[in-house]
Amino acid sequence: MALSPEILGILIAVFVIALTAAFLFWQRRRTSRSGILVVGLNDSGKTLMFSQIVYNEFVDTFTSMKENIGDFTASKSVLKIIDIPGHERVRAKFFDEHKRNARGIAFLVDASNLQSNIRDAAEYLYSILTDPVIASSAPSFLIVCNKQDQTMAKGSVAVKKLLEKELNLLRKTKSSRLASLDNTTDNAVFLGQEDKDFEFEHLNKIKVEFAETALFSAANEEGVQLEQVEDWLERVSA
Amino acid sequence: MLDFFSIFGKGGIVLWCFQSTGHIFTPSVNALIRTVILQERGGGSNSFDHESLTLKYKLDNEFDLVFVVAFQKILQLSYVDKLLDDVQLEFRDLYRQQLQGLRPGLEFRRPFERVLAAAEEWGRRQDNQPRQMRSFEQSHKSKKTVSSMIERPHEQKNQKTGKAGKRNKEQEQEKEAAVKESPPPTPAAPASPRNGSGAGELDEETMALNRMRLAQRLGSPNASKKKAAADKQKSPKAKKTGKAPTQWDLGGTNKDVASLERTKDKDGVRQDTYDSKLVGQMVGGIKDLEVDSSDDDDEQDEERQVRLARTKESGLLSMFKGLVGNKSLSRETMQPALDKMCDLLIAKNVAADIAKKLCESVATKLDGKVIGTFEGVASVVKTTLTESLMQILSPRRRVDILRDALESQRKGRPFVMTFCGVNGVGKSTNLAKICFWLIENDLRVLVAACDTFRAGAVEQLRTHVRHLNNLHPAERHNGREMVQLYEKGYGKDAAGIAMEAINFAREARLDVVLVDTAGRMQDNEPLMRALAKLIKVNDPDLVLFVGEALVGNEAVDQLVKFNQAMADYSAAEHPHLIDGIVLTKFDTIDDKVGAAISMTYITGQPIVFVGTGQTYTDLKSLNAKAVVHALMK
Repeated sequence: MALSPEILGILIAVFVIALTAAFLFWQRRRTSRSGILVVGLNDSGKTLMFSQIVYNEFVDTFTSMKENIGDFTASKSVLKIIDIPGHERVRAKFFDEHKRNARGIAFLVDASNLQSNIRDAAEYLYSILTDPVIASSAPSFLIVCNKQDQTMAKGSVAVKKLLEKELNLLRKTKSSRLASLDNTTDNAVFLGQEDKDFEFEHLNKIKVEFAETALFSAANEEGVQLEQVEDWLERVSA
Repeated sequence: MLDFFSIFGKGGIVLWCFQSTGHIFTPSVNALIRTVILQERGGGSNSFDHESLTLKYKLDNEFDLVFVVAFQKILQLSYVDKLLDDVQLEFRDLYRQQLQGLRPGLEFRRPFERVLAAAEEWGRRQDNQPRQMRSFEQSHKSKKTVSSMIERPHEQKNQKTGKAGKRNKEQEQEKEAAVKESPPPTPAAPASPRNGSGAGELDEETMALNRMRLAQRLGSPNASKKKAAADKQKSPKAKKTGKAPTQWDLGGTNKDVASLERTKDKDGVRQDTYDSKLVGQMVGGIKDLEVDSSDDDDEQDEERQVRLARTKESGLLSMFKGLVGNKSLSRETMQPALDKMCDLLIAKNVAADIAKKLCESVATKLDGKVIGTFEGVASVVKTTLTESLMQILSPRRRVDILRDALESQRKGRPFVMTFCGVNGVGKSTNLAKICFWLIENDLRVLVAACDTFRAGAVEQLRTHVRHLNNLHPAERHNGREMVQLYEKGYGKDAAGIAMEAINFAREARLDVVLVDTAGRMQDNEPLMRALAKLIKVNDPDLVLFVGEALVGNEAVDQLVKFNQAMADYSAAEHPHLIDGIVLTKFDTIDDKVGAAISMTYITGQPIVFVGTGQTYTDLKSLNAKAVVHALMK
């Protein structure tokens, strides 16, 4: 079939454009959200968990001033692990930088002194859950109860209950009350359902799971107890 | 001699560590990081004391490393700074390639010992050297102007010019000492009264003392005459110092009290009109502060998104970045940009010392950092300064008054907030605004009138309480009265009234107690003692310092002296210092918002409320981004 050169030219141009578009689209989808953020309060074990996942080594750590970024190869793809410092003054800045890239968020909790820090931990978790970017992109959450090797550490069920109770109170004090003379104040993201007590299952878009680890005792052992975390990472990367 | 040396990355992972004792050093290093580096106090010296150790640190901004050395506080080691510099150079040379990945567990012991031995040797040599004489440039005399050193024999006669001359000499000395790096202070007479009286102002007695000492040194025959004159000056002054009882215009004695009493209402209820539109506007959290038009913010946000997107896509360009030369920042290159930033901050009403310290800490953060050729020095300095300001304004701990009040409600005791500050900053007005916010959120409040000095203070609070109860009548809240006033008139002890008020609130199961205190100047010792006593005796949950946004360099003085007074006069191991700041009269400044920075930098405590007017709804919470944006414009 003899095509005139103009039609051939147009066909080739259309084909090339379609190819480029498909390539860019595929590229963007692949690199769009491939990050796992490791967040938590000060001294909850984030940098230690980061180095164990990424480098497979146990290290001494001090308070982080900057984020740590490393790669983790899951079975299908490569995830970027980002460890955000927990110090109150810098955590917002680093979190804002990386939240767009979040495919999953691992929230570390120090289970041995949770009772005294529960308000701070819950406020941090609340601020992450109600962040508009996170609420719209809905990454999966893993709440890791660390320091299980200590005697007074609470298990994941107890931690879940404590957090739910605290978040229940927080959403009332932070968002607007439903009164008749209401003109509401700020962000309107209200967690869970209004007439029932807050539970993690009520968050319809965001999936929250729990895990237990004891990262410090891993200095002498193999197979650290990161199985639950690594399972979750595999599931997130899929 | 050294107890501990560590090299770790800014992300927290330890690269190499050496310790000679079994002591655990982690808490000390964490304290160093949290107090010095993260709170932007890295400007001045690089040493920090924690318990019995002194820690010195050095930042390497090119590879994002921190070098920390710890030794006993009682030792005075002279070679530590040189050691830090040498170790930094050595480490970088050895591990330049591997530092991109920051793997832990690098081997450094032998080079370190070598460098340590060299540094110790250098220190020994320095100690054994005889002390160098000061050159003329370093001496104190070179700072004085010639005219100030000429002594006029008729100085005693004309006292006024003598005082002015001395004051000018002081100011000139201070200025010149500030311009050049100040040498160790000579033990001259002008120096000692300066140390004794704070900000360089001399009062009469020290002036006379100066003159007497000068006369004695000269050995003039007029010495005794001057001394007599000085004594004569002192005695009439002794009558002036000390607190004199206030003289009311109409005079009077105790018998007149009955006619002056205004704390009880005269017969008949007044017909007042109340503005009921305010009800319901303060429910929930406090609104954020808006500093300027938000159109700029949106545009800037979009710009930033675009720039971020561009940098992400420029994976190809990063290959070329290695080809184009990089330059690294040093203090000389940064100095003009830093000076400009410092002037900008001072123009925006940040206290002068604080602006200087901030610029110093930015310089420390950027020293040695490598930037690409497409970034200008000024823009890098500006970005880093913006980050530092954001960091200062972000609260160090959680600020949620409603949550804490609910917690105390659960525990069955009232949540006590105390307001202190100098005269006329707006304590009573902002107390009423906060009270309105609390009752909008269904908490019952007791106002304790512990200002027993200022005329009309109790009546003012009573009027507010009446107004608030009218806006939120008891019928709407299950017959419970939302605000009550606890007062005991004038002239009584404030600490006692506060204690009784708290007990009353506990028995009546009220949720919050707001304690209003009298305004006091920060260097009025008896009043500061009284405030410290009130706080020690009643142990409030929150001590708020109320400061106005108009204040400039004075903010530093006020806050430092308030904190110091509360620490000194409380005689406890861990005195209760200022927990938060209320920034008032924010509507009177347009964008000169520097007072916020000065106050948060000095105390390290967050700004809890911002007052933006005189009606009940003019209460906002601090929006750090908007404030920093207004500052850096």
